[in-house]
Amino acid sequence: MSNDGTILAQKIRKSFGPKTVLKDINLDIASGEICCIIGPSGSGKSTILRCINGLETVDSGVLKVNGEDFGYYETAHAYHAHSPKKLAEQRTRVGMVFQQFNLFPNMTALENVMSGPVLVKGADKKQSAKRAQELLASVGLAGFGDYYPAQLSGGQQQRVAIARSLAMDPEIMLFDEPTSALDPEKVGEVLAVMKDLAKKGMTMVVVTHEMGFAREVADSLIFMDDGYVVERGDAREVLSNPQEARTQAFLQQVL
Amino acid sequence: MVTATNKGSEATMGSIDAALKPRLRLRTRSEYAGWVLSILVGIGILVSVLTNPNFKWGVVAQYFTHESILRGLMLTIFLTLASMALGTLLGLGLAIMRSSHVKPVSIAAGIYITLFRGTPVLVQLIFWFNISALYPNLTIGIPFTDIGTAIDMNALMAPITAALVGLTLNEAAYMAEIIRGGFSSVGKGQIEAADSLGMSAGMRMRKVIIPQAMPSIIPATGNQVIGMFKGTSLVSVLGVAELLQSAQLIYARTYETIPLLIVASLWYLVMTLLLSYPQSKLEQKYSRTTSRLPRKAKKVVLTEPEGTLR
Repeated sequence: MSNDGTILAQKIRKSFGPKTVLKDINLDIASGEICCIIGPSGSGKSTILRCINGLETVDSGVLKVNGEDFGYYETAHAYHAHSPKKLAEQRTRVGMVFQQFNLFPNMTALENVMSGPVLVKGADKKQSAKRAQELLASVGLAGFGDYYPAQLSGGQQQRVAIARSLAMDPEIMLFDEPTSALDPEKVGEVLAVMKDLAKKGMTMVVVTHEMGFAREVADSLIFMDDGYVVERGDAREVLSNPQEARTQAFLQQVL
Repeated sequence: MVTATNKGSEATMGSIDAALKPRLRLRTRSEYAGWVLSILVGIGILVSVLTNPNFKWGVVAQYFTHESILRGLMLTIFLTLASMALGTLLGLGLAIMRSSHVKPVSIAAGIYITLFRGTPVLVQLIFWFNISALYPNLTIGIPFTDIGTAIDMNALMAPITAALVGLTLNEAAYMAEIIRGGFSSVGKGQIEAADSLGMSAGMRMRKVIIPQAMPSIIPATGNQVIGMFKGTSLVSVLGVAELLQSAQLIYARTYETIPLLIVASLWYLVMTLLLSYPQSKLEQKYSRTTSRLPRKAKKVVLTEPEGTLR
């Protein structure tokens, strides 16, 4: 636990059947760093994020999250899978925000935010409810606790989803295209919450198409294509002065 | 002088304003023929049923609330409820096994479902009734024995046990498929969200998957209950004195076969209709897939400037 909030990936490979999605991924994200990942669809950006949260397992390579080997423990000859309990414990330290929000529709906003602490950590219900109210207030949704996800707009749902992840007190937050499923007018409210979070020193990895957000908030930027990290560096530097031809071509398309 | 009513239309086309005239449907000759034919057939059957003395409606009325018929009805209701309850529990277990990542477990459940859905219930019932031929020392080795003896005092225990086992095991196979269908209606994203919060598999099942699968499971289960209610008549071949067998026992004595079959049919019909009403209510309630709002949801007050409803 010495170096909380860090992510280290070396030579990560990941295939789905015959298709190799991640070919040679090397990452080094420091504690408190805001890292944006951009790239064309199918480049493996979402997959690497899902690997960091254990939703996918990597085929080979080193993956250390929060300073620990993630999902596996290393012996002299192999990596052995952790027990579900240990994996769950590691996952609680990494929050994930999905493109489709994935709030539990059978729970109110408040219950959604409480679900992690109460159901997983066995925390006290009253205290968790109080904490959940505070978290909802911090994402600008004070008083919305009794609403069900179906009663909330997309932007509001995504903010509840962020609060739900934060309720677990993770060291790292992962965002998988958090604004892609939103109406354009609701994008701003979610980005504002994320900016707030960035100021608080949370390690954040954001897969996004919001170049404006990347330029304004991100410390580092990674451009991925075809399972490789093509270019990485200071966010503003890469966006204004890309070195690789592939990056230049992509940025010309989207900017 | 032109009156106010037909100001806008030609005087030759009647006195009503053309804009207000009703538009009439075309009735074809076959439609009239359909009316006449259905009514004639209906009247014919009704007359025949009412005038044919062999129906013996007096006997029907006499036996409709006969003690042994009512006792048979009670047993039928008990068999329905008991085998549905046990079948649903077993089906839930099978559904969980079927969707397991461990291949042998999933295959085992698959084989069970195939076997029990692929053979007739009647054959299964007779099979369980005669299981002692296969395992003489394990005849009552199935853990439903206590229930069979504890509740029934009237009929023999062995046939009832066989009936309960047969119906339960068969129902479990159908319920397993219904429940599994419900599970797969829950989005992959929900499972990922639960996983990313660090929920255990059991917690995920109880708090996320099952509550969301219910809307598709409950109406289908209601249908199964109705089917099961009629399906219990099959256990009459084992000599279990349920509704049909009770009727059969009486007409074996009195030779009033048709009236007693009518008595049994009327009871099946009445119970089915009684069950259909809550069933259709259930279906209505859960069919509104567009609003996935739980019942206890509070009404949204549209006070927010940005609008809270999408």
